[in-house]
This record gives sequence, C-alpha cells and structure tokens, in this order.
Amino acid sequence: MLETLLPILIFTALALAVIGAVRRMRLWRQGRPSRVNLFKGLAALPRRYLVDLHHVVERDKMISHTHVATAGGFVAAAVLMILVHGLGIANPLLGGLLLLASASMFVGSLFVARRRLNPPARLSKGPWMRLPKSLMAFSIGVFLITLPTVGLLPEGLLEGGSSWLLALVLAGVVAWGLGEMFFGMTWGGPMKHAFAGALHLAFHRRAERFGGGRSTGLKALNLENEAAPLGVEKPADFTWNQLLGFDACVQCGRCEAVCPAFAAGQPLNPKKLIQDMVEGMAGGSDAAYAGSPHPSQGLGGKPVGEHVGFPHGPIVALQGKALVDADTLWSCTTCRACVEECPMMIEHVDAIVDMRRHLTLERGKTPNKGAEVLDNLIATDNPGGFDPGSRLNWAADLNLPLMADLKQVDVLLWLGDGAFDMRNQRTLRALVKVLRAAEVDFAVLGTEERDSGDVARRLGDEATFQSLAKRNIATLAQYRFLQIVTCDPHSFHVLGNEYGEMGGHYVVRHHSTFIAELFDAGRLTFTPWKGGSVTYHDPCYLGRYNGEYEAPRNVLKALGIEVKEMERSGFRSRCCGGGGGAPITDIPGERRIPDMRMNDVKESGAELVAVGCPQCTAMLEGVVDASAEVRDIAELVADALVERPAGDASDGPRRPAATTTAEEVTV
Amino acid sequence: MQPDRQQQQQGIDVAVLVSIGRHPTTGRARRAEQDARGLELALAMEAELPGTRISVLHAGPQADDSESALRGYLGMGLESMTLLEQPAGSDAILSLVEHLAATAPQLVITGARAERGEGSGLLPYALAEHLGWPLVNSLASVEKVENGVVTLLQALPRGQRRRLKVRLPAIISVDEAAPVARQSAFGPARRATFAITPTTPEADSELAQWHLAPARKRPKRLKIVKAASARDRFKAAAKSEGKGGQVLADVTPEQGAEAIYKLLKEEDVLR
Repeated sequence: MLETLLPILIFTALALAVIGAVRRMRLWRQGRPSRVNLFKGLAALPRRYLVDLHHVVERDKMISHTHVATAGGFVAAAVLMILVHGLGIANPLLGGLLLLASASMFVGSLFVARRRLNPPARLSKGPWMRLPKSLMAFSIGVFLITLPTVGLLPEGLLEGGSSWLLALVLAGVVAWGLGEMFFGMTWGGPMKHAFAGALHLAFHRRAERFGGGRSTGLKALNLENEAAPLGVEKPADFTWNQLLGFDACVQCGRCEAVCPAFAAGQPLNPKKLIQDMVEGMAGGSDAAYAGSPHPSQGLGGKPVGEHVGFPHGPIVALQGKALVDADTLWSCTTCRACVEECPMMIEHVDAIVDMRRHLTLERGKTPNKGAEVLDNLIATDNPGGFDPGSRLNWAADLNLPLMADLKQVDVLLWLGDGAFDMRNQRTLRALVKVLRAAEVDFAVLGTEERDSGDVARRLGDEATFQSLAKRNIATLAQYRFLQIVTCDPHSFHVLGNEYGEMGGHYVVRHHSTFIAELFDAGRLTFTPWKGGSVTYHDPCYLGRYNGEYEAPRNVLKALGIEVKEMERSGFRSRCCGGGGGAPITDIPGERRIPDMRMNDVKESGAELVAVGCPQCTAMLEGVVDASAEVRDIAELVADALVERPAGDASDGPRRPAATTTAEEVTV
Repeated sequence: MQPDRQQQQQGIDVAVLVSIGRHPTTGRARRAEQDARGLELALAMEAELPGTRISVLHAGPQADDSESALRGYLGMGLESMTLLEQPAGSDAILSLVEHLAATAPQLVITGARAERGEGSGLLPYALAEHLGWPLVNSLASVEKVENGVVTLLQALPRGQRRRLKVRLPAIISVDEAAPVARQSAFGPARRATFAITPTTPEADSELAQWHLAPARKRPKRLKIVKAASARDRFKAAAKSEGKGGQVLADVTPEQGAEAIYKLLKEEDVLR
C-alpha cells in the first residue's frame, strides 16, 4: 500500500511546491527591474551559501551546528527520497544514505525543538513554533518508511492485512512532513526562507558583498530620467531582488537584538519592518505576524493587525495608517548593525533609505528639523546654516595651507562639517598638530569645501546629495593629491564609497588609519600613557561601513594604552545614535541611544572612551552624568606627542620649502 | 478652520504673488520666506475649503537661477504657476494689476516685503490702490469665507490678534506672523510647469534714477534697564515702551495729519 501511496504523496507535494514557487516568483516580479547576471549568480550560489552565509550563522555555534545537521540532512534526504520512494529505486546503498540523512535531520530537529522550548524574545512564534515538530515528522517518517528498503525491517510488516493502520499512520506523518517542507516552502510557511533565501543569495543586488568583499555605499537614484520614481512609495517600487530579499527573512530576530532604535524603544523593529514589506508585497494585513512589534511609547508595542498594505498601495499613508508608519522609517540610524547580523544578507538600510527618499523627494515630509537642515544644505552647503565663508574661522591662527595656493600636495585634509562645531574644532586642531609633527605635506580646501552630502542622502534628499557631490567632485578635480584624510567617518564613507558612482574616485583614509601609518613609518613618537583605563567606541561608518577596526586600536596601542573592550565592540559595536540624520529627525523613544552606549562604557570600567567620529563625540558627550570622558583619537595622539629634536627631522620626507614655516605647530 | 464650519462656506479663487528670495547669509536665490508663508496660507485654505483654486503669480524674467527658486514654491504641492514675463528691472506692479484685473481672483495673498530689489514693502499697497480693493497686512490666519465675506485674524504687536471681516475681493499680506511654510519637495517641483504670459513691460523709471549701495548696519539704540529683579527685567522686556501718546478720535484728516507731523518732529524722524 505504501509503495503506491508514497510516490503519489511525493509528487503531489512537489507539484504543489512548483505551483507555489511560480506564484511566489510572480510576487517578486512585481518589483522594478534590476540588472543581475542570473547564471553567474546561480553558479555562485553554493559558495555564497556555504561560505558567506555560513560565516554569519556561525557566530552562534550552537545554531550553526543545528542548521548544518537539519538543513544538510533535509536536502540530502529530500533528494534521496525522491529517488528511492518517488521513483522506486530501491537501492540499499541509497536507502542507507537516506537513513543517515534523515537521522541527521532528526538530531538537528531535536536541537531546534530545544531552542523552541523557551525561545528568546527576538524569535518569532506562531507557525515557527510548529517547525521543529514538522521537521521531526519529516525525518522520522522518512526514516521509518526507508527501514524496509534496506531490509532492516521485515518486508511484510507493513504488508500484512492488519498493519494497514500502521501504514496509514506512517503515510500521514510523511504527508505532514512533506506538507511543511515542500508545500510550505513555496506557499509561505516557515520553510519559505530556504527557497527565497537561496535565490536571494544568487540574485543579491550587492554581489560584491560575497567572497570577503564589502558593499556599503547607497545606490544613486537616477535623477536624469524624469519618469523614474524618486524612491519607494509602494512595495512594487522596490527592485524585484529587494522584494525577494524581504521574502528570505527567517525571522530569527538577530537584527532586532542589535538594533539601537529598537533597544531605545523607538518605533522600529527591523525584523517587523521586513515582514511588513512581505505583507505589502503579497497584499494583506500584519495580523499573522508573531514576533515583537514595533515599539511604541507606553503601549508596549504598536498593536499588530492595524496596518494593511498592497503591492500597488502606499507604504506610508498620507493620512491614517497604511503598511508602515513614517516614524518607523525615521527611527533608523543607518548603523547597519542589522545588515551585519542578518544571516540572510537582507539589506534593511537600503530599503529604509529608499522609502525615506519618497517621503522627502515626493511628499516633502522630512520630520522635525529635517526640512530646515535640508534647506540649509541647499542655501549654505552646511547643515547648520552657517556662513560658508566661516568654515576656516577655527583655524585663523593656524595658517593652514590651502589647496587653492598649493594645487598639489600629498594629503588633502577634509575637514567635514565638524569645522563649524566648537567641540570638533578641538579635534581638528589636534589633528593638524599631529600632521605637522609628522611633517606631512598637507593642505585643506578651506572655504571651497562643502558638506559631503551624507546627511542629505540619508534623510532621503538624493537631489541635494547629488548636487553637493557634483560640486565637491568638480572642486577636487582642480587639484592633485595622493589621498584624502579626514577625521569624519561619514565624509570618509561618502567620499570613498559613494562619490565613485558620481564620477569621483579617491583614496580616502580615516585619520586613525593615517596616524597608524605615520607611527609605523617612525614619523611620530609618543610619551607613554599615564591616564586611566580606556575603551574604544567603533563608529559605525568606520567599522561596519568600511571594515576599519584595527587601525584605531593600533594607534591606542602605540600610545601605550591597553583597550578595555566593551561587550559590544568591533563589528558588533552599538551605534551612538548620531547617524542617518537620527538626531535631526529625533523620533521619541523610551531611552536615548547615547545613554545606552555610555552605559556600555561604564560597564567596561573604563574612565575614558576614545572615539574617532565627530558625531559619536557629540552624542556621547551629550550624556549627562557620564562615568567616562570622551576624547577623539587625534586628541589623545596630540597630547602624547614628543616634540622631535630639530636635527632628527631628516628621517621623514622633507616638506616643500613653502610650507616649512612651522612656528605655528604648537596648538 | 473653525470646527463649526457651515454649509455656505465655499471655495474661492486665490492668487498668491511670489518673488525670488535671497538667502540672508549666502545671497543665493530661494523661495522668499514671507511669500512662501503666503502660499502656505493658501494651501491650508485649499485643504479646509474644498473648491478653492490657487493660482501662483510671479512677474519677472525667465532665467535658470530664478526658475530654481520659483520651483521651490511649486515643490510645496502645485502643478503650475503663471510667469508674467518681463525683463529684470521692470515694474512688477503694472503687469500684476493688469493680470489680476483680468483674472479677477477673490483673494490675493502676498508677502509683506521682497528680499531682493527695492524691498520697500509697498507692493501690496500699490496693488490695493490700483485695484481699489481693501488690504489687510500682517495676517495670521484665514478663518472662514462666507457669502463673499472673509473672516481674518490679523497679527498685532506683542502677540495680540484682531479678528476682521473683509468683503471680497481683497488683498492680504503676510509676514512672520503667518504659519511657517511647508517643506518643498523635489519631485513635484521638478514636474510642475510654468504658464508663461508675455506682458507689456514698462521700465521702472524711478528705480533707474536711484543710487543703490549695500546697506550698513545701523547702530541700535540701547535700552537701559535698571532692574533689580528678574520680574522687573521681564516687565521691561515685555512691556510696551510708549508712554504718553494720545488717542485721536473723530478728528478731521487735517488735524490727524498735523498730530502725526508733530510727533514725527518730536521723535526726530523729520527734521
């Protein structure tokens, strides 16, 4: 009886899975076109899955082993089952392998079940709670029906007239397993992540991310073509592979666990946001969502089931509610912690900025100080609305060499908008002191410099970003320099990773990288550190965006400082709350992000936190009753400088005669 | 704007006059602050009074610089604006009067003072004089329109408000008392179109005779506050400075003019 029933079950499930797959693909294809090399992507899929994805999953060893046993067992068991039971190739070798595969899957599913016994808050419940049982049903069912094939059970056991009941029960268990694993995979069950996830890896819009690469710059909007939409208004405005990416979400909540806005009680849960996009793509309400909602002040979370979306309906309502509330999108600090943690390689920040672009460029709805900052950027080229002619006022006594005079230098020092901020001016003065001590041939653009466009772009104002970028690129094109050095990681990221698309290609270095190089070249000497314990806060735009974790630590080491690491440091560093225009849009939460970060500093026991970003400095210094002092790396280096004896200067490269008037070195 | 809106409220034709602004720090062309507030007022009326039609007017030349500034207004959510084309330096008043007389809007909204050119703040008055319409300055909000009468809230110094009923058509001018203009969005600004209407410009002969020089900051007269407590300081800051003064009621225009003349002499405005 089973011999006839099994092939029918298997092929029915497969056929339904194919129908579901076609339906799902049609959902993705509602999106706008995106150029992807399909064959190359599919060819790269195994490597992307086994190496890149596994690398992220492996950060949690337990889950990684569980997933290898379960998923590996399932894929092998599914293929072998189709051969053995579907096509009836009753080969004892295949049967033995099938037993092995299903046993492995069963062991894995036991661990899945254990994790579901008392699941952490970040995991979604609902259908996900039945998944371990379904995995067990599939693995046990397949194991048992295969026993007779390899002769471990007498053939007659399931053949006897009285055992039809046993056969029926077995068939039922197998059907349950097949239903979840094959049918559910393409019809929206928890196993959807395997199907959509695999294709998402193959057709990812940032193929450079795989194989150890990095791709963090936002993609430019086409402003030349007036018919092209300005950002994303409705789910169908995403590119098809972005939609596919949303569908890949496995609702593990790793993003939720690291999101600074979520932790602060601001109305953003990245996992929920991705699920909102899935609901919008398929059309419907979020009532079935079974994870943590978007936080909401005083309510313990925005109620689920009140938001509805459609592929061609607006994501953010003009009035009332649609799929997502605008404050959810404006809560993001673009720190990329979610993207870094996502095992499915979903690009949350891209999606959020895409939707912000629509709100700003089409609706003019940048919240709070957003409109004022953007107007300032348009009218004065800096977000504070300061007189552009006063950009160099802080350095009136420093006689900074200007690019306009020199035309050609080794290092172009990019000041950033911190030049208008009195706190950051201290950092800049320290950096100038360090550069002069190392006899670096440098110059600044001075009043020719403009805002890099970072804030405008992250507030969704792509037009202002491109206008600033084009004018900056035109200015830079007049001069010759080997590299740009800046103490602002935001400028660093934008100049290095986002100007390329606009035609500006530069070698850009963060000041910590440059100082580390100067020290290694023997051009700087430091007095040993005498202060207290020090920790280091990784700026998002230096670390996660640009992978620079080592240089700042090397500089601190060179100063004789042993860094007391915070629990969240390196690629897991917690954001200071200052990125993505978040201080400008200022969405209320229950806590402040910088307060939480200074609490991290306190827990490390450090008396001083070294930073490398004007935003981080401003945010962390704004914390009242802080237990630690906030100092930029440049300041620490400048304080520890040993003035070099005059005769010793010969080992460094000589500076051009025009710039050796060094009496202004002391700061 | 009143919750107890009545049925006879109906939409009206509103013309908003806009000029090219000038950023105070960088001097770049932009939407003028007051004119943008005027347009905001009109857009708020449109939202409150269905059927309100807004037409935006600018008299000036067609140029890239001015176009991007004008698109700043369009980005507030308009599909088009009328450009009364005339060379720079022409008098805007005549072409505006001609256009307004021909299109006959019921309400004309304008900023109190331009950020470029003469910036004398006389344009609303000159328009009112030419058209023979009433003018209300320093408007805070438009409350309702009923049977051809508009109820307005006028801003007076020190936060006072005066409610006025004005028969349409009328001209209203706005300054910083009106609500702040909404953000201008790039997409609508880019899509919007200009309806270019040629005019028969007349060169501003008076302006041509003027000698223009950059303004110098005038020294501020210092107010000496001899206050012992915070309360006194607050009173000194908040209380009106004027003392004495007289209310003239039921006087002939000649008597009134004489009183004003005397005061101006006393204050050293006229010598």
